[in-house]
This record gives sequence, structure tokens and C-alpha cells, in this order.
Amino acid sequence: MKAYGSGETRVVALDHVDVDIARGQFTAIMGPSGSGKSTLMHCLAGLDTVTEGQIHLDETEITGLKDKKLTQLRRDRIGFIFQAFNLLPTLNALENITLPMDIAGRKPDKEWLDRVVATVGLAERLKHRPTQLSGGQQQRVAVARALAARPEIIFGDEPTGNLDSRAGAEVLGFLRTSVDELGQTIVMVTHDPVAASYADRVLYLADGRIVDEMRHPTAEQVLDRMKDFDARGRTS
Amino acid sequence: MTVLKTSMRNFFAHKGRMALSAVAVLLSVAFVCGTLVFTDTMNTTFDKLFAATSSDVTVSPKDASDSGETTSDTGRPPVLPASVVGKVRGAEGVKSAEGTMFSSSVTVVDADKDSLSPTSGAPTIVGSWNGNDARTMKITGGAAPKGADQIMVDADTADKHHLKLGDEISVISATGTHSARISGFAAFTVTNPGAAIFYLDTATAQKTLVGRTGVFTSINVTAAAGVTDPALKKNVLGALGTGYKVQTAKEVSDANQKELSGFLDVMKYAMLGFAGVAFLVGIFLIINTFSMLVAQRTREIGLMRAIGSSRRQVNRSVLVEALLLGVVGSVLGVAAGVGIAVGLMKVMGSVGMKLSTDDLTVAWTTPVAGIALGVIVTVLAAYLPARRAGKVSPMAALRDAGAPADARAGRVRAVLGILLTGAGAVSLYATSQAGGATEGSAWLGLGVVLTLIGFVVVGPLLASGVVRVLGTVLLRPLGSVGRMAERNALRNPRRTGATGAALMIGLALVACLSVVGSSMVASATDQLDKTVGTDFIIQSDSGQLITPEAVKAVKSVPGMERVTEYRVTEADYTTPDGKTLKDTDITAADPTYAEDVRTKTVAGDIADAYKPDSMSVNEKFAEDHGVRLGSKIKVDFKDGSAARLTVRAITSDDVVIDKGAMYTSTATLAKYVPADRMPLDVVLFGSSEEGQQDAAYKALKAELHDYPQYTVRDQTDYKQELKDQIGQLLNLIYGLLALAIIVAVLGVVNTLALSVVERTREIGLMRAIGLSRRQLRRMIRLESVVIALFGALLGLGLGMGWGASAQKLLALEGLKVLDIPWPTIIGVFVGSAFVGLFAALVPAFRAGRMNVLTAIATE
Repeated sequence: MKAYGSGETRVVALDHVDVDIARGQFTAIMGPSGSGKSTLMHCLAGLDTVTEGQIHLDETEITGLKDKKLTQLRRDRIGFIFQAFNLLPTLNALENITLPMDIAGRKPDKEWLDRVVATVGLAERLKHRPTQLSGGQQQRVAVARALAARPEIIFGDEPTGNLDSRAGAEVLGFLRTSVDELGQTIVMVTHDPVAASYADRVLYLADGRIVDEMRHPTAEQVLDRMKDFDARGRTS
Repeated sequence: MTVLKTSMRNFFAHKGRMALSAVAVLLSVAFVCGTLVFTDTMNTTFDKLFAATSSDVTVSPKDASDSGETTSDTGRPPVLPASVVGKVRGAEGVKSAEGTMFSSSVTVVDADKDSLSPTSGAPTIVGSWNGNDARTMKITGGAAPKGADQIMVDADTADKHHLKLGDEISVISATGTHSARISGFAAFTVTNPGAAIFYLDTATAQKTLVGRTGVFTSINVTAAAGVTDPALKKNVLGALGTGYKVQTAKEVSDANQKELSGFLDVMKYAMLGFAGVAFLVGIFLIINTFSMLVAQRTREIGLMRAIGSSRRQVNRSVLVEALLLGVVGSVLGVAAGVGIAVGLMKVMGSVGMKLSTDDLTVAWTTPVAGIALGVIVTVLAAYLPARRAGKVSPMAALRDAGAPADARAGRVRAVLGILLTGAGAVSLYATSQAGGATEGSAWLGLGVVLTLIGFVVVGPLLASGVVRVLGTVLLRPLGSVGRMAERNALRNPRRTGATGAALMIGLALVACLSVVGSSMVASATDQLDKTVGTDFIIQSDSGQLITPEAVKAVKSVPGMERVTEYRVTEADYTTPDGKTLKDTDITAADPTYAEDVRTKTVAGDIADAYKPDSMSVNEKFAEDHGVRLGSKIKVDFKDGSAARLTVRAITSDDVVIDKGAMYTSTATLAKYVPADRMPLDVVLFGSSEEGQQDAAYKALKAELHDYPQYTVRDQTDYKQELKDQIGQLLNLIYGLLALAIIVAVLGVVNTLALSVVERTREIGLMRAIGLSRRQLRRMIRLESVVIALFGALLGLGLGMGWGASAQKLLALEGLKVLDIPWPTIIGVFVGSAFVGLFAALVPAFRAGRMNVLTAIATE
């Protein structure tokens, strides 16, 4: 459970959400604006703290961890892809990709790195600064960074929100491939049915609760379900 | 109206970001106002003192100085006969006339032979207790002195040395040592800034100071009711004729004030100079602040332009913000300035100069000058950023602005900077090649200004290079955090350049002065080693002449091979070209002086100048007046008769010690000047017999224990003293430069703080992907250290260049040895790294406290 404020002004953003994210799967979290989907992801990723309840990553309980431990956890076991502004403008593409490992003081696994770079198709542009890359390329670098450190789980917060459909499809394709071929676990927040259709499983969130779940969705199914929610929302 | 409203809102919305700029303005203005208030207060204090202590009209001997100064080379003040008093009394309009006797060529010691003289450089005065003194002083204990064994002490001195009634103290004058017991204490009714004053009765004062009664140093004349001072002066002049100096109270006071104002002006302008440096540094800070604020508001400004604000309006709104900043900073600065002045007065109090806050003088010009200066400088500094704001296109509103990491340092800048620096370097080189001092200083000044501007202009370009080098050496080994710090310092070279340049200015001055100072010590030491052949130098640090008694004491020390007496007096010279040079110094020394100081000559042997009726002249004098070896010069001694002396040596001007001195022997002087008019020794040179040095040194010290005004130094002491004096002077200057450095450090803090704000999102991202708080803070600290070291490197390099050029210039004046004080230079460099760490404390702390989620969400 996650609540903001207290007493009269108390707003409950997440209300007794109980969810398991399966390893090696691509999970999408959907819901209308204000449904709590971003908050859920932030809590799961250790960026935000919950008011009540527990969150486990594998065997580790992350609720109640101090900032230092949480930072280490994010650094070593979690990967992130944000909607925009994923890269440090002062570092080139390769440096951005290896940044989490650099921060940790670890040497990147050369073979794996090459494979990740090849997968996202950036081999030619590794020496470029973010400003010299297109939006799609920038997000691909962000995906590569998330993959390169071999985290247990990657969280994406509307990773294609700022991209046109072609670039978006490219990025989502890479995420899918990384789950299928590299066995990566991914959780992605989105309100785009097309994006959600790349996932193995879609969780629907409304008013801070999980209201539905769908496995192996198609874009049409997702869209229908969304319309359904909207209609229900309007009549209630 | 809306322009003003937006400016006000922006100003108060960013008051945190404005705070450091305001502090910079405040500090600079405070220093200017503090200096003005302090010097004005000193002037007021002395004005009051001089006005209070001068009688309506003062009559003194013709050869006394205008300010009533009572020293002379004989150690006895010039006097007039007592009969003059009667003549003055007879003049019309005179209510009373009273002869007084006083002298400052004295030292007063307590029973333990410890000096009671002020250590602040203020005079020690022994005088007769007269009606005029009774008017300005109040007896606070005991009674006025009566009889040969009584003395009255001023209350401040008594307090300082815990003197009690009946304590025995002694006056040491040219006539000998005279003991008396304290009969009373008297306090000034105005502030006495620090002179120690002792009163005897008139007859005792006369005997003590000049050795005979019936003479006075001056006559205090009081006007009858309704007679003005100038009228009284006229009447007295009428009664006396022109044989005496007659001055009104105002004339005496003005003459005194004039004598002081030289010293006060030097102090005032020196301090204002340092305030100017602080202002210069503050300009960088203000430019940087406004540039960053404008950059951060690009989108907002674009929006304003898109909805119809004109370029001028945008431009003006930034300038109005600057105006507000200037006004706030300056007004606070004026207030702080008064505080600084009071603080300075307290500091002066602790070194023995008493100033009272009752005399605190804030002229109307002080706040006006302070505020005008602060506001004008702030607005001027904001002009460039304001123009840049005006140039923001309406399109900027639509673009995803973020922080423009443009900062392509223009080619124009590079060319201009290199040209300026090059021209400056040429000027500095010309300095070292200059033939004359005036020509050389012009080149030096030009070189300093040009290289400084050149470095400032080219700074952003140098920043890229220097930061890369520093990064490779210092940061790379620290891993990715170091690398990111380096990249951050590099991302806006203009900003890094300006921030570093601010620090550069202060440190360049520090480096330059430390090079000059240490070259001075090295040169003087070198010169001493080469020319001085004596073991001991005995002189007074407060400028007291050496009394015959003390000379006798020195000569009585066993184990001394020789003691050379050295005195200086004045004479009128008539040279072979028929010209007469009035009141020119002549140095009379014992022939052994030729061994004590090996004076270089261009013709003849210096030892011959000490033969009977012989002398030496300096090179320039010889050239100017066509004097050759064997020429005869008529020397009319001031207190004696005329002599015709043969020139037997011409001394080189390429010396440091005694430059320009013209020598004759003590014996020659004694032949033409009566014994009681012989000037006293200025300095004694003593040399011990072989192997007796340590014993002689101890014995000399013991023998001079009763004369605390004199110091015995062997060569080691002398060099150390020289080093200490220059060191103290440098420390004082460093202290004043600290102001500029503090402002520069504020600039570093400001740049970092604003950078952190600008990079909020980046910081959020880095924290999200696993950068720990400690790493984040370290990254900011390292960036700060790199900026500081960049400034230090530039400043120290520039300063050493200036210092070396100045040394080359001053080589003509005897600064022959260039000595670069590496420990100081390296110390400053390392210190700068710590300054960088310190500057990053708050910005790093604030960055660390940022909430990761809100940081990422920031636009």
C-alpha cells in the first residue's frame, strides 16, 4: 500500500496491491492516468517507498532498506528505461551504456556487451554523444544500458512514450527479443495498447488496485479492454 | 510596469540563487565603505587632537618644522631664548604667553629598564607641564610635577604599563639618563590615538632635554578677548620680526594633518585598491550568475517573446533584476562597512592605536559612493547576459530547451585572447629589457593588464585543455565519478573559465607578490653577504638616535676589535659648476666603515674619502655636477662652518645599502661642527676580535639592556629581521587579498549550486541507475576541485610571470636575485584544492538530498 499525506488529505495511490512478477517474462502495467501504475513501478523498483506492505526482489526484501542499500540494489540488480532524458549528455553512447558498471567499479563483460550492442544495432554509433543521436537511437542506448549490466529485472516507464510508432516498435522489438533470447525479466508501464501487446502479461490498474490481468495479449484485445474500463469509469 | 513586476517576481523567486551574488556585492561595497569610514574617523580623531593641543598662536625657532616636530640630528630640539617670551607678551592683543619645552627624541623606561614607548609607531613625548596642557588634559590622580625628581604620565600609558604613583621611571635623552618618580596622571579630554606623554616641570624639562635652562622649544600665545588668531599672529610678528616661526592654531593643525595625510592616503588607497580587486572578482560572479539564470530561463524568455515582449523589454527586465541585486547588496554593504570600520578600530586598539567610536565619521559621500559603485558595477556586469537574453528567439519556447550545452568558444575569442596575451607577454619582456625605471614600470603595467585581460578572454579555451590535463592526472584514476566530474567541468567552458578566472585574479596577485617578496629577501641577503664585513649592527627600530652614553656603553664591551660610528647631517653643497644644493645629506663615518661595508666605487678608493678634508660623492651626483676625483666641493655644515672637501672617491649607484650616500669622516665633520652641535649616531657597526663573537654578542646585549630602544643584531639576526619584515608585509597584503579570494570562492559555490539545479534531472537519472549519494557528492566535489585548480594554475602561472618581470625591472633598484618561493606556490596550489572542496560542501550536500523521483520528473 502506498499513501500520500495523512488524515483528511490522505490520498491512497496504491491500495493493497498484491502482484508477482514472473522471472523471464515481459510484464506490462496499464491503466488510465492517475491509476497508480507509475507509483507501483517506482515502488517495485526501489525508487519510492511504500507506506505499508512488503516488496521482495528474488529473496531480498527491499521495503525498509536504507538509501545506501537501495542504491546498490538499483545499481547491481535493476535496470531502468525512462520515457525521456535517459542519457547523460556529457558521456558518449558507449560510456552511457557502461555507466552502471562504471559506477559500481565493475568491468563490463566484453562478450555480453558486444552482444547487447549488436542486438540494439548501435555498433556504428558508440562514440556519438546523445545530442548527435535521434530519439529512437537514444532510447535504444537506454535499453542497451539497462541490458548491459545484466540486471535481474528491468523497469521501463513509458519507454516509447516520446517516440513515433516506427521508432517505438523498434525499441519494443528489442525488449521482446531480450526477453526471448536473453531471458531478461522486464516490467513496463504504458498506456499504449500497441506497446502492451508486446508483453507476455498485462496487468490493469485502476484507482490503485489491480482490476484485471491478461496473458499473451494482442493490441486489439488490450484496446477493447481499455475501452471497457473507460466506459465503466464513465457510468459509475 | 509589467517589466518591473516580472523582474521583481523573478528576483524574489530566485532569491536563493541571487544570494551569493548579493554577498559578493555586499563584501566589496562593505570594504570600500569600511575603508572610507575608517580613514575619515582617523582624520577626525587627529583633527580634534591637533585642534585641542594647539594654542591660538605658536612661536617656534626658525629651523623647527611646520608641524612642530621636535627631532633633529643632534638629538636635541631646536630652541629659542627665554627672552623672546617677554617680547611676545608685549605685543598687542596677547592675553598670555608661556614658554614650553618638549622633545620626542627621547626614550622612557620603567625601573626594570623596559621601554614605555608605544609599539604602534606613535611618538614618545617628554615636555614641560604648562597652561596649554592643563587646558586639554585633566589630572586624574596625584599632582602636577614639581622639582627635579617628579614626573607625570598620561593616563593611557600608565594603564597600559600598570604604573603607580611613586614608581620610578627614567627619561633617556641626548643629555643622559634622568630618573624621577611618578607624581600624577593626566588624561586627554580628546582621544589620544597612541602617543606616550610624560610631563616634567619647566626647569627639569629644559635640563633633561637640552641640558640648560633659559631656552624653550616654543611659546604658546593666547589671544585677548576679541582678537582673532590671524590678527594675533600679525601683532606677534610685528613684535618679533622675522627671526622666528609664528603660526596660528589652524596653521599648526593643518601642517600636522598634512604630515599625517600622506600616511593615511597611502593606507586608504591601498585598501581601496584591494576593494577594487574584490569588485573585479565580483563582476565575474555576477556575469556568471546572470548568464546561468538566463540560460535556465531560455524557454520562459522565449515564451515572453512569443507572446509579444520586445527584445528591449526582455533585456530591460534582466537589467532591472541586476539593479535590484545591486541596490540590496550595496545598502547592506554600506551597513556592513560601518561594522568593518568599527572592527578595524578595535584591531588598531589591540596594536596600541586608540580610536574612539565617539569619533566615528560617516561622511554623506561614503554611502553614496558605496551604493553608486555597487549598483553600477552590478548593472554593468549583467549587461552582457541581459543582451544575450534579448537575443533569445521566440522559437526557444517551443524547443525542448534543457540546459543549452552550446559553449562553443568562438574563434574570435581565441584570436583576441591570444593577441592580447601575446601583446602582454611582449610588454612583460620589454619590461625586463627596459633601460629606465619609468619606462619599465609603464611596460610592466601594460603587460600585467594585457595578460590579465588576455587570460580572462582566452580562459574558456584554456579551460578545455587545462581541465583535460588535470582530469587525466587527478580524476581518471578515480574511475567513472572522476570522469563525469571532468566532463561536467568541461561541458560549459565559458562558465568554468569565468569561475576559474575569478580565482585566478586573487591568486595571480598572491603569486606575484610572493615572488617579489622572496626575491627581495634573497637579493638583500645576497648583498649583505657580499658587502657587509661587520659582525654587529646596533640601531633603534623606532628611529631614535644613539645617545653618547649608549655609544660609550657599546665601546666598553670587551673583545671588540672595532666600533664604527655612523651619523648623517645636512649641509649646503657648492659644486665646481657653481651651483649650490641646499640641505643635502652628508654621511659622516669612522674610516673603519670602509671595512664594515665594502662600498663599490666607479673611481677612487672609498677608504680615501675618510682622509682629512675628503669626501665621496655618488655616481649620479658626479655626472650631474661635473665632479671628478680631486674636485673640491664647498660643504657648509648646517650647525657649523664651511669646509672645502676634496672628492677622493665616486661611489657606484649599483648598490643596495646606502644608495646615493656621500661620505666623509667623523673627524672631518668634528673639525667644522662644534662638539655640542655634533649630530648623534644613527647606527653603530661593531666587529669582535677573532673567535670572540659569541661572547661579544652576549656582552653587547647585556650592556644595552638599559637602553631598550636599541637592538643589537648579528648578520643572522639582521637577515631574519629583514625576512620577518617582508613576511609581515606580505601577510598583511595576503590578508587583504583574502577578500578577493573569498568572493572568488563564493563564485565557485554559486557556479556549482546553479549547475546542480540545472542538472537536477541528470542527477535524478544517475541516482536511479545506481549512483550512491557519496559518489554523487564526490563527483560535485571533484568538479569543484578541478575548477579551483584550473583557476590556481592560471593565477599562479600569470602571477609568477608578473613577479619575474617585476624583479627584472627592480633589478635596477638592487633586486638582483630572482627567487621563486616554491613552497608558497605549491602551498597555494594545494590550498586551492581544499578551497574547491570547501566550496562544494553545500552544493554537494543539497544535490545528495534531492529526491530521486522528483529530480527525474523535473522539466
